Amino acid sequence: MGSPRIIMKLIVAGVHDEPGDVRVIELRHPRKPLLPRFEPGSHVDVHLPDGKVRQYSLCGDPEDLSRYTIAVKRETGGRGGSAWIHDTIAPGAELPVSAPRNHFPLRECDGPVLLLAGGIGITPILAMARALCRQRKTFELHYFSRSRSLAPLLGTLEKIIGSESLRLHFDDQVETRQDIDSLLLARPRGAQLYYCGPPGFMAAVAQASGHWPDGTVHFEAFQPPARDDAPPEPFTIVLRNGTVVPVPADESALSAIRAAGVLLMASCENGVCGTCECGYLAGQPIHRDAVLSNDARDRRFIPCVSRATGVLKLDL
Amino acid sequence: MTWQGSLLHIHIAPAASYEMEELAEAQLIAGRGLAGDRYYLGTGTYSPKPDVREVTLIEVEVLEAIAKGEPKIPGFKGTLKPEDHRRNLTTRGVPLNHLVGKRFRVGETVLRAARMNFPCKYIEELLGMSGLYEGLLNRSGLNCSIEVGGIIRPGDPILPMDE
Repeated sequence: MGSPRIIMKLIVAGVHDEPGDVRVIELRHPRKPLLPRFEPGSHVDVHLPDGKVRQYSLCGDPEDLSRYTIAVKRETGGRGGSAWIHDTIAPGAELPVSAPRNHFPLRECDGPVLLLAGGIGITPILAMARALCRQRKTFELHYFSRSRSLAPLLGTLEKIIGSESLRLHFDDQVETRQDIDSLLLARPRGAQLYYCGPPGFMAAVAQASGHWPDGTVHFEAFQPPARDDAPPEPFTIVLRNGTVVPVPADESALSAIRAAGVLLMASCENGVCGTCECGYLAGQPIHRDAVLSNDARDRRFIPCVSRATGVLKLDL
Repeated sequence: MTWQGSLLHIHIAPAASYEMEELAEAQLIAGRGLAGDRYYLGTGTYSPKPDVREVTLIEVEVLEAIAKGEPKIPGFKGTLKPEDHRRNLTTRGVPLNHLVGKRFRVGETVLRAARMNFPCKYIEELLGMSGLYEGLLNRSGLNCSIEVGGIIRPGDPILPMDE
């Protein structure tokens, strides 16, 4: 089970707009001077009034715990969370926000760090760059955007990061363009790669880094990778105590397990937050989440989106 | 048994996992709960599981023992603040474990102790305090129903009834 986190009713202390239809929101605690600590790459859950939950990376300075900073891009074709935030949130508003969690941590390493961000994917990458600057580590940040005028947080980036570490690539400025395949073709000795961005960007970097060794490539997706899998089929879950839980084709494993009386926390119900994570003991899962590492897929399972073939024995 | 205790703090949370908020006064509603709290509203972690959770209490003496790391077995030491333990009422001078099945007064209200509270792993994970579960075993407080409702405030006396 993913660990539950305290939810705090934070107060919006500041709002400003960034290029690319992005709104930056600063949040403070109404009573406590310091918020819970976080590491670069962390995100928080924002709880919307309709009960839905959205994840946003913390892009502020982890050394300044007087506030959290999130950047929200208005997704016109999205599920409505970002539009609600853009239309409703003003200074003084109250916003329920979870304590941070990190699925995208910077690993200890001696070699150089390569950070790749596409558009609003800059948010976790910005927090990483702040930390690397402070640690005086060797890194390069490649920021891809359609245009300088559409690149959120660019002003902040240019203030924090020296030009020796920052590479900007704009589709509408031919001389700045960078082919991702050739960028990742040769892996510098000891290098670690971190990337975040929209689905097309994620697919391109995944492909271009396919030859990098296991454990050197780290990413965070906004949504699970698109799949053209066959439509979901029914399967069966067996619990540790022997209870058999059938999962119909049109129901998630999570809701079937809950209906069977197991208390399981969940948050995004979209395969990205990891709250409902559990172990499995036997069977063939069909993983559809964007949380588990390849390593973890041998023993862990995300029941809100993932399914299985035949019978899956869960460690619940 | 003669004893006389007092109410130190009142805390509620609007829903599961939300931070507890301290109140200067609270309304206890007979047969229901503490106005505004998650178990009054039915939004608590355990709300789907029927049980008596109208109001929960814990002794500040337990928090003080945990701060000192006593007893050495199980040996958990840590700072568990009144806003962190997720019980509604923090008391001083009240032998909670001895009250199961009995009635007692909190200010103008009357509570009946249904059972000893049992700690949960959930709170350990919520607070990131590993070992707290064992540290609270057998001293995790009391789950009560409300027989006579009313307004309570920190400083209210807590007194025995069924002697």
